[in-house]
Amino acid sequence: MFAFAIRRIIGAIPTLFALIVISFFIMRVAPGGPFSGNRKLTAAVLENMNKAYHLDEPVWMQFGRYLWSLVHFDFGPSMKYKDFSVTELIVQGIPVSLEVGLWAMLFATITGIALGIAGALRRNGATDLTAGIVAMTGIAVPTFVIGPLLQIVFGLQLRWFPVAGWDGSLNAKILPVIVLALPNIAYISRLTRGSMIEALRTNYVRTARAKGIGPQRVIWKHALTGAMLPVIAYLGPATAITVTGSVVIEQIFGIPGIGRYFVEGASNRDYPLVMGVTILYGGIVILANIITDIARGMLDPKVSYE
Amino acid sequence: MGTKFARGLGKALLGAAIVATAIAVTPASAETVINRGFGASPDTLDPHMNFGAREGWIQDDIYEGLTAADAKGEMGPGAADKWEASDDGLTWTFHLRDGLKWSNGDPLVAQDYVNGVIRQLEPKTASPRAYYFSSLVPLVGGQEFIDAGEGKGDPSTVGISAPDDKTIVMKLKAPQPNMLFLVESYHIPPLHKPSFDKFGADFIKPENIVTNGAYMMTENVPQSHVTLVKNPHYWNAANVKIDKVVYVVTEDDQTELKRYKAGELQTTNEIPSDQLDAVKEEFGKEVRITPYLESQYISFNITKAPFDNVKVRQALAIGIDRQILQDKILKAGYQANCGYSPPNDPRYHQPQVPECNMTKEERSAKGKALLAEAGFGPDNPLKVTIETSTDNTSKKLAEGVALMWKQYLGVEAKVNAQEFQAWMNTFYAGGWDVLNDNLIGDMPGPESHLAYMRPSAESGYNWKNDEFEGLMDKAAAEPDIAKRYEILAQAEKNLLDYYLLTPLDVTVSRHLVKPAVKGWENNILDVHPSKLMSVE
Repeated sequence: MFAFAIRRIIGAIPTLFALIVISFFIMRVAPGGPFSGNRKLTAAVLENMNKAYHLDEPVWMQFGRYLWSLVHFDFGPSMKYKDFSVTELIVQGIPVSLEVGLWAMLFATITGIALGIAGALRRNGATDLTAGIVAMTGIAVPTFVIGPLLQIVFGLQLRWFPVAGWDGSLNAKILPVIVLALPNIAYISRLTRGSMIEALRTNYVRTARAKGIGPQRVIWKHALTGAMLPVIAYLGPATAITVTGSVVIEQIFGIPGIGRYFVEGASNRDYPLVMGVTILYGGIVILANIITDIARGMLDPKVSYE
Repeated sequence: MGTKFARGLGKALLGAAIVATAIAVTPASAETVINRGFGASPDTLDPHMNFGAREGWIQDDIYEGLTAADAKGEMGPGAADKWEASDDGLTWTFHLRDGLKWSNGDPLVAQDYVNGVIRQLEPKTASPRAYYFSSLVPLVGGQEFIDAGEGKGDPSTVGISAPDDKTIVMKLKAPQPNMLFLVESYHIPPLHKPSFDKFGADFIKPENIVTNGAYMMTENVPQSHVTLVKNPHYWNAANVKIDKVVYVVTEDDQTELKRYKAGELQTTNEIPSDQLDAVKEEFGKEVRITPYLESQYISFNITKAPFDNVKVRQALAIGIDRQILQDKILKAGYQANCGYSPPNDPRYHQPQVPECNMTKEERSAKGKALLAEAGFGPDNPLKVTIETSTDNTSKKLAEGVALMWKQYLGVEAKVNAQEFQAWMNTFYAGGWDVLNDNLIGDMPGPESHLAYMRPSAESGYNWKNDEFEGLMDKAAAEPDIAKRYEILAQAEKNLLDYYLLTPLDVTVSRHLVKPAVKGWENNILDVHPSKLMSVE
């Protein structure tokens, strides 16, 4: 397994490199530059600013310069938030995104699997129906509607939680975690329900039952183990997306994570910032996929590491 | 990474230590705190680089210029308590107060202001506002210093000097009657050279920063907040009532409004324009709407046919009913404007476009007649694309104008909305028809708006008009403000008659301010120094 992980990590290097090359050049194709503000700067001033950020050099030279600094773990300066380097922005933002994202995923996984199992066991019963409605709502209603709604109910009317802001207190985390978890609860519960129903019909479950194993043990050990495979395949990429932050949640709840940098960095033409978060995101996705594969191997005897 | 993290941790601890000390020196009585909604995270708080008005609020709190704005936005004494100008308006002498200090206790001297100006001009700084001290305040040798190139200019050739520790002398190429607006903290923050020499561009990090304003910065967390605490070394610290100011990042104006309602914020940066009526009803006097230094207008591409024909431009200008645009379409609280510059200085008599008060029928008849003269009619309708950015009010404005052009003039108008950078790029590339345009002035009065239309500003309008240039030169040489404004009014009339652009409105600043906050006055500059406020 260890050898498998190492092989996969080495195999990820070309992927990451391709990601760097593609995002670097796509960003440069977008019209405008980081300093085209509302008031046009005189040619001399603009030239000076471009020079300070080496934007006056040919693109291939800029690319070489960027790769060289990457080798030194330097993501360069932010062209929009000039008081910070990209590394500083990421180092400040990622713990916050990780915290919100991991809590949301934990909450979503537990709730989603529980709802899914309940639904599969009493198909078309009241629980299944409720779980189905909750799931469909979670998928269909976007977070930018649910977020403000919860803010009004729990922040303004009931005054249980602050409307927004990030002061490190538990209270400030609850609403964003719930909103971020909702769509995931929906997907996970639907996936669990579907694959659980399927697993309950498989031959190995029937065999287990025929051998006289109790219903609880059959459900929790035999059926659930098999049913978890698609859920785990979903959890890998979903966790990667969730822990790298969400621009909507961050803006609505005023959370200082890194999710907004994907969108803002691109629209501000903040080249180094976009590159920094893209590489980080790519790395996390690759890592999540490796972990997913390892987990699947542990659960499914048919998967081999070779 | 490891060492970087360790260093970061070290800095954080140092920062915490500074906060702790700062808190320790404030009186034992309950701390007064104000939470001010700030909008999007600040671009930069480097005082010599900052080009943003909101960042200017923080800059006003932590730095003090030679003059300082009062709550109404009028300029009075700042670090300088006396000044005089020579009769020809070309030499200004500022005298600093006695015993001024930096926030670390170092004495503040006249040379610190000179150093600030030089850093701003120095090409190596790459400041977007390097032009302030070469054109807005036309210092002798300012432009030459920039032109000399990186590190090559000689600071002693620039027309700003400190003959002694308490005197600053500025020598100008042309008089600037609005000088007092241009030497406050936003324009002329001093430079604390020891910390700049030690930390370079990092001198503005909270753990390194040394400032001279009523407050000092203890925290700057991107996308979260900036915290300021009272500066015990400020000359007027005894009269500063709020101990701690937190500028809270509020990117989403709907959330900001909810946070204000919940009492998490005492003032806001914005009021969502689509809820203006409801908010006015709910909050009454807490709503503060004030005209701002920004005007919005439609620019025509005079290098592209058929917009090179003044009749086409005039017809399109006539086809816009500015009042209906505000009352029925935009509803953002903006004020219809029939001149180009924002009419915010009562001493200035602004010329108005002749089509200002036409009726719908008059607009339609006159506009269609002009278009017919230019060869356009029902069989051959004029096709126009309005380039706009995607932000909500801009898009609405452009769509409103397009609708009026269709209805009043029978013009085939469409709106091309692009994200900000792409929109700007379209403008600079030059292939556009008409642009949904805007400009924020540097000071009240018409001057910064008009100067932006000169070819020397390289603003991209390709307009060269000898009469306008002549008037602008004449105005620039006139030290008497009344006479200067007379000449500028002629220049503005010349600009409007040419139909390089047609004005739409003046934007407003929109804030909510809790009744408990005292000392916040509506003003045209939209400046609200924390040092003048108190919280009951």
